[in-house]
This record gives sequence, structure tokens and C-alpha cells, in this order.
Amino acid sequence: MSDNLILQLDNAEVRYPESVALQQINLKIEQGEKIALIGRSGSGKSTLLRLIYERLPDGTALIPQDDGLVMNLSVFHNVYMGRLSEHPAWYNLLNLMRPFAARVSEVGAILDKIRLADKCFEPVAQLSGGQRQRTAIARSLYQGGSLLLADEPVSALDEHQSRHILTTLTQQFPTMVIALHDTTLALDYCDRIIGLEAGKIVLDAASETISADELVHLYGGE
Amino acid sequence: MNTSIGALFNRTVVSLALVTSVILAPVQADDVKTLVFSAIPDQDESSLKARFGKVADYLSETLEIPVKYVPVKSYAASVTGFRNNQLQLAWFGGLSGVQARNLTPGSKAIAQGEEDPEFYTYFIAHHSTGLKPGEAFPKEIAGKRFTFGSKGSTSGRLMPEYHIRKNLGKSPEDSFSTVGFSGNHSRTVALVESGSYEVGAVNYKVWEKMVAEKKVDTDKVSLIWSTPGYPDYQWTIRGDVDATWGEGFSDKVQQALLDMKDPALLESFPRKRFIPASNEDFIAIEETAKAIGLLDE
Amino acid sequence: MALIKSPSVFRHSLRWNVSWLFVLSAVLCLFVADISIRSFDPWAELGRLVSGLLQPSMSGLDDIGLAVLQTLAFAMLGVALGSVCGLFLALVFHWRWIRMMCALLRAVHELFWALIFLQIFGLHPLTGLLALAIPYAATFAKIYAEILEEGDRSAFDVLSHQTGWVSAFFYARLPDLWQHFKTYTAYRMECGLRSSAVLGFVGLPTLGYSLSTAFMEGQYSQVWALLILFYLLIASLKYWLRPSLIPVYLCVAPFVISNDQTISFANVARFFTQDIVPSPLLKGESLVGLWQWFADLFMTQALPGIINTLVLSQIALVATGLLSLGLFPIISKQFFGRVGRGLGHVFLVVMRSTPEYILAFILLLLWGPSMLPAIVALVLHNASIIGHLVGRFSNDVRLRQDAPTGINRYTYELIPRVYGQFLAFLFYRWEVIIRETAILGILGVATLGFYIDSAIQEIRFDRAMVLILITAILNIVIDGLSRYIRNRIRLSQAINIR
Repeated sequence: MSDNLILQLDNAEVRYPESVALQQINLKIEQGEKIALIGRSGSGKSTLLRLIYERLPDGTALIPQDDGLVMNLSVFHNVYMGRLSEHPAWYNLLNLMRPFAARVSEVGAILDKIRLADKCFEPVAQLSGGQRQRTAIARSLYQGGSLLLADEPVSALDEHQSRHILTTLTQQFPTMVIALHDTTLALDYCDRIIGLEAGKIVLDAASETISADELVHLYGGE
Repeated sequence: MNTSIGALFNRTVVSLALVTSVILAPVQADDVKTLVFSAIPDQDESSLKARFGKVADYLSETLEIPVKYVPVKSYAASVTGFRNNQLQLAWFGGLSGVQARNLTPGSKAIAQGEEDPEFYTYFIAHHSTGLKPGEAFPKEIAGKRFTFGSKGSTSGRLMPEYHIRKNLGKSPEDSFSTVGFSGNHSRTVALVESGSYEVGAVNYKVWEKMVAEKKVDTDKVSLIWSTPGYPDYQWTIRGDVDATWGEGFSDKVQQALLDMKDPALLESFPRKRFIPASNEDFIAIEETAKAIGLLDE
Repeated sequence: MALIKSPSVFRHSLRWNVSWLFVLSAVLCLFVADISIRSFDPWAELGRLVSGLLQPSMSGLDDIGLAVLQTLAFAMLGVALGSVCGLFLALVFHWRWIRMMCALLRAVHELFWALIFLQIFGLHPLTGLLALAIPYAATFAKIYAEILEEGDRSAFDVLSHQTGWVSAFFYARLPDLWQHFKTYTAYRMECGLRSSAVLGFVGLPTLGYSLSTAFMEGQYSQVWALLILFYLLIASLKYWLRPSLIPVYLCVAPFVISNDQTISFANVARFFTQDIVPSPLLKGESLVGLWQWFADLFMTQALPGIINTLVLSQIALVATGLLSLGLFPIISKQFFGRVGRGLGHVFLVVMRSTPEYILAFILLLLWGPSMLPAIVALVLHNASIIGHLVGRFSNDVRLRQDAPTGINRYTYELIPRVYGQFLAFLFYRWEVIIRETAILGILGVATLGFYIDSAIQEIRFDRAMVLILITAILNIVIDGLSRYIRNRIRLSQAINIR
């Protein structure tokens, strides 16, 4: 295989104490691929994302379904957390007490892109669901890296916003795996579609080979 | 929110650093070292500071060095303070004096009250027991509820326990239905007066004072037996005081105590006057303490 | 597939069964315990006590202002130091030996820590500071660790794996748990005040010093004046304990507690190399001598001490539980209006701020010496603490508008909602109750603490250390057991305030 391969799963399986979450997963991911995961809730999308993250923790930005935000911290600090590892601890602590101007302008630029700049110093707890989701997205943008793993990153946004955000994400991250329930968006922004059902991969095809209608059954006619 | 956490954290760190430095830095010492003394808290603790403050002033004047009285809360604390050289002079009970001198080589008893060579413990009983005063040890107290005073007291613990063991042939735990430690002599009186405990052992001076001041209802609680006399309270001084304050210092302290004539000062103890004492005067106490297991052989 | 059980069979929950098991154990203990009422004339002394209450007086008390300041300063510094150290310990609390060490440190009553440090440092401020900070650090470690364990980790999990733990902790964990830490730490500040005051009993210059003196002397006017002062201090806590003022307090406090005592390192060394070394070893006796020394100590003191401690604490624990369930409504919004709750608060503050020792003495006068006054004193004290905590917790419960009232509200709406939390509080209190049995020697109840106190009074620190270690082992066992039970009935998820 080419040296572009960044992950290969052979017959992978994930078990929970009472049940099997994923089984017989065979998957190769190459650099530059934009992959959409689709499937009903409980089909194993989140588990698959988690599995991939565990295999590739370095240089990977993650947007979990629950956003992974610290409610009592401001948007700025939540976004800044994407790059905690790039600074020494004392620097981070000082920045926690009083944000450095340089960092504020960096983060501000990102917030501008996703139209959240006016909320920069508001605690996340006071934001709406959509604003929180965009905060998590901003964090991943700020963190950067070669791979993005995102679990329903635009579920709380309207279509216009969603498209804007997905465009930004696809521009920033060379490789991404995104769980999406909107099949149209999946086809528009990703070049490969993986369908999951009951913990198994039931579809794995290039976007241009399938239509939105064909994907509907994976969501049970939703 | 975030800034308040940060600021608070910041200020807390600074404060804690300050705490450490202040606490660990000792206050500048005086040129002439202060002689510190204390007294066991066996009775009438309140306004001890005021009363013993006068004693400190007297000693300071007579010895021409700074003298300070420091109150302590327990017998053990006074012994420990003496041993650790936080106290150089102490008014001990018989047992605490023996303990202190055993733990502090070179220290010596220098003075005692005129009454102290013949000190007594009174056994007191609640009227419901029907016990009457007598010359002989009241063996009928066996099986009753009994309270000592403080665990480390000579008159409230050591001597009564010694006589109980001697006359009943058993440990207090085996002799009585319940054994309590009231904490001090006036609590002992209060507890026996209420009938909570039927019998108690109390310092005779405290008892007589309480009776004289009508702080106790003698219809409810009365004296039933007095132990034979034994040596009790004494002044003890550390052996290394001469090295600190000059040759013959402990003799000077002894003389100052013996010369204390002001009734107002003597009232603090309360004693008529002080007479010389020596370590040997308390051998009997030491033997007794060993016999009942309060001191190791 | 799991077998589907018939839905028509009513089954009690695990916590119901556990509760009854505890009640049963307490009933069994009652048969062993010495509880009887034997007193004749309590009225003279009680009369003096009550007349003291009617005319409280500060006259004859020196330097009360200073004592109040010292009480506050020791509490403030002890709790602050304890919480900082506790936080660090909490971060490594998953290490078994840290957990054991903390259980060991918690097992020893503050008064005993103070007595030990008096031996080492004398009246140096470190004595009081450490006597508070050490057991508090160990308690903070346990509770903070549980708060961390139960907190939301999602933000933490998203962080890049290269992130250092300091940054990760301060960004991803602390901010959202801050409120929990704050609530618990504020609650411990009240405990700290109580502990700080009680340290006066052994000679620290706090309120307990004059209180115990006055009490020992039967100066009840002074006793009540001091107690009322102390109640006011506790009741007004929320008005003066403001986060923004804490740094100011912490800066002033060291000056309040500092004195002219110095630390003698010779004393410190002697304590560790002589005082706590078993006396047969010091005298150069053989191992047989050491064994005999230990066996004698174990059979005559430790074993009866363990039995008495367990019997007393088991009864007190269950009775505390029952009484707290009865008490919490008096400060709960679900049951009483402003005035009623105000009175409830006054009652609970008085009950939990009166040292158990004084409660025990009053009951001893009434009932004579037995385990009964000890049990009731412990129960009144602890039940008013748990009642306070459960009552506060119940205020956060949201009831539907048409919820029933009175006893129906209590049994159907409130108890099911607060019971888990209540059990969690009670299990925390378990080891506290065991520790507190120590200080009731006046009642002639020979608990482990009674023997530890005797050993310290006899200046036999080698014995005291062995007994303290045995107490600590007992505490580690109890801690493990309560941990196990709590995990089994999953109380942990409910923890909000403690």
C-alpha cells in the first residue's frame, strides 16, 4: 500500500461489558481523505471515532458529540485549550488568570471565521447549543493538526452555518473523519462515505458513486 | 469566573508563602533569657493568669531577671513543657514532679508548701450510698460507681488508686461497676453530688475550699474517708538553669520561694508558706506509681 | 438476553436492605452495650447550669477578643493549608498507599494530633496549625478525589495528549468543579472553627481554652457566654467568610497565631528516636520482651478498646441516621417558611457547635455514667450536622406544583430523593463518629481513644503510638467497608454538596 496510509484496522472489535459495540471492522484511512460516517444512533459511529482517536492520538483534533467544553471557562479559554501542550504550565496558568494579548488575537481570528467573536469572553455555560458547538469547532481549528475527528459537529446549526463551518474545516484539515446525520452534507463535503449498522460497516464507497436517496435506508427513512 | 479563580489562586499562593515565613521565623529573643514557669492545672484554673502573674512579678523582682508565667492545660503538658525546656520551673503535683524529674536528668525539687509533706485525698460519697465517715478504708465502696479526677493527678488518681488496690485487692476496673475520670477535682465533686457517680476521690484542699465557700451541698455528698498523709506538691527546677543564669541560680530561686511571705501570693497555691524540698522526699510517690503501673519499673 | 423478571413482584432496593442491616447491627450492639440510667440528684448542678444560661457573663475572662482571633486564625490557616495539600493528594488518590495514608491520618482525632505536636513543638503555633492541617488535608484529599472522580471529563479527554497535567488540570478540570470544591471547603471551614476552638481544651490559646477552664470550674455564666459567642461566630460565618476576603484573612492570620516559642530540633529528634520507640526496645530487652509488652497492651487496652469503640459507634451511627432524617425538614424550604427555618437553624447551630464533651457532661449529670450519655451526645452532635447538610440538599429539590404536603410530601417526594445523599453523608460520618468516641473518657467508657488519652497523660508515647496505629487500621477497614457499600449501592452519583 502507499505511504499515505495513516491507519489500518483489521477485523477490529470493541466490546462493552454487556454488549458488542463494533465488530469485524476493516478500515484503511489514507492521508487526504475526507470521510463521513453515517448510520442510526447507536450504530457505532461514536465508538468508531473513539477507536480511531485511540490509535492516532497525536496531531489529531477531536470534536466529541458533547463538545467537551469547560462550562465555567470563557469561549476564549476553551478555544485556547486546543494548544495547551504548546506552552509551559506557568504560561498557561498566567494566561488563565489574565489572557495574553497575542493569544487573544489568535483566538479572535478563529472566532471571527465562525462568527463568534462577540462571545469571546463569555462563559460557555451562558451560550446556546449552537454557540457551544461552534466553540468546540473553534477549539479544533485552533488546535489544527493533520487529522480531524468530529462527531456530529454541526448538529445544532442551521444549514447555512453548517455549510460555512464544514467548508472551513475541510480547508483546514487535510484528513478528516466526521460523523454526520445529514446525508446531503456528507455527500457534498466528503469524498468517502462509510455506513454503519449495528456495529458493522455496511457501506464503504466514494461519494460520487452514491446518491442521497441510496443513503436514506441507513437512517431508517429519517 | 475564570479570572476570579485565577486571582484567588494567585493571592492564596502568596498568602501561604507568607504564612510559612511568619510562622517559622521565631520572634527575636531578649538579651537576658526569660525564666518561664507554670503550674499544673489541678483546680481553680480561672484567672490563673492574673494570680500567677503576680508570682511572676515577685520572682522577677527578687531574681532580677524577666520571669513569665505560662498556663498549661494538662498535667502531661506541664511535664512535657518542663522536659522540653519550654518551662524551667514548675509547680508540680507529686506524680507529675516525679515524671518530670525522671524525664529531665539533673532537675530537682527545691520547695514545697508547708502542708505538702502531709497531703491527703478525701473519698467522698453520695448520701444514697448510706456510707458513713470512718477511720478504716470503706470497703463497702466496692461495686459502686467511682470517679477519679484527672488521669495524671496524685491526689485525684495515684494515691486513691493505690489505696483501692491495697484494700480491695483488685484494680479499680475490677473493684467498681464504673470507673470515670472527671477531669479535675471540682468536677469530681459535682458528679458525686449529683449521684452520677456514687463515690469519688478528691484533693482535700479543694474539698475544704468548696465546703467553706458553700459550693457543695454537704447533705448530698459527704466525706467518708481520708487517706493517710503523703507528700504531694512541690516546686521543681531544671538542672541547667545555673548554666543559663549563672552559678547558684537554682539556690537563689529556692531562697526566693522560701522568702515568699505575702499572703496574696501564697493564696495562689494555696499554701501557708514554702519549705525546702528534695528529690528524696518523693521516693514514696515514685514507688507507688510503679506499684500501680503508672510508671515503668 | 437477560431474563425478564415478573413485574408484579415488589422488591426492595439494595439501599433499603443495607439500611435495615445497619439498624439490625445497632440493635444487636444495644444488647452488649451498657446503657442504664442511674442518677439521683442532678438538679442542683443542672440548676447552676441553667442559671448560668440565664445570666451569661464575660466577667473574669481574660483576653476573649484575642481568643476569638486565634480561633479564627488557626481555623483559617489550618483549613487553607489542609485544602491545598488535600488537593495535591487528591490528584494521586488513586494510588492505594496514598488512600491508606490518608485514612491513617484521618483516624486520629485533632486533639490527639495536638497532644502529639505539643510533645514535639511545645506551644509553637505549628502545633495547632499541623493538628488541624494534617487531618483536614487527609479529609480534603478523600472528598476532593471523589469530586474529581465524579466530575465531567469530556473536556479533559479532548486535550492533546502532550498537554502537561498542570495545564490540563487547571483548564479542563478545575473550572467546572470549582463550585463543588468551594461548597465543600466552605463547609469544612465551619468544622475548622469547631476544631480550632476545641484545640483550646489541650492548651492552645483558642476559645476552647477558657471554655474548658470555665466548665471545669463550674463557672456556668462564663461557659454560656463563651458558647453563645461561639454560636454567633458559626451562625454568622456566611456573612464574613467571603472569597475576596480570604486572602486578607490568610495574610493577617499568621501574625495572630505567631508567638515567641521556638522549635527545638533536639526535642523533635528525641520524639522520634526515643519517645515513640517501644520501651522494651529502648531498654535493650529481647524480642520476647517486646512481644510481651505488645501482647499485654493489646489484650488489656486495644482489644477492649476496639470492642467498646465499635459497639458505641455502631449504635451512635444508626441513631444519628434516624435523628437526622427527623431533623432535616426543620431547615428545609419544602416544609417550613422563613421563621420556622430560622428557628430550625438556631437549633441545629447550637446542637452542632456545642462540644460533644459538654453535651456528654450534661447528660452524665442527668443519667449517670454509662454508654447512654456518650451515645446521645454523639448522636445530637452528628445528627444536627447531617440534618443541616441534608436539609440544604433538600432545598435544591424541585417539586412539581401540585406535590402533596405534610407527611406525604416527606415520605413520597423528599425521602426518596434525598435518601441516597443522606446515606452518603452518613457513611462519611461513620469514621468521624468512631474518632469522636475518643474524647468521652469522662463517662467511663473505655474506647480506644480513652486508652490513647491515658497513654499520653502517662507520658507513654510508645503505647500511644501503638494504640493510634491500631485505631488507624480500624479506620482503614471502616473506610474500605463504607467505600465498598457506597459503590454497591451507587451513592456516589448523587453527591452534590457535603
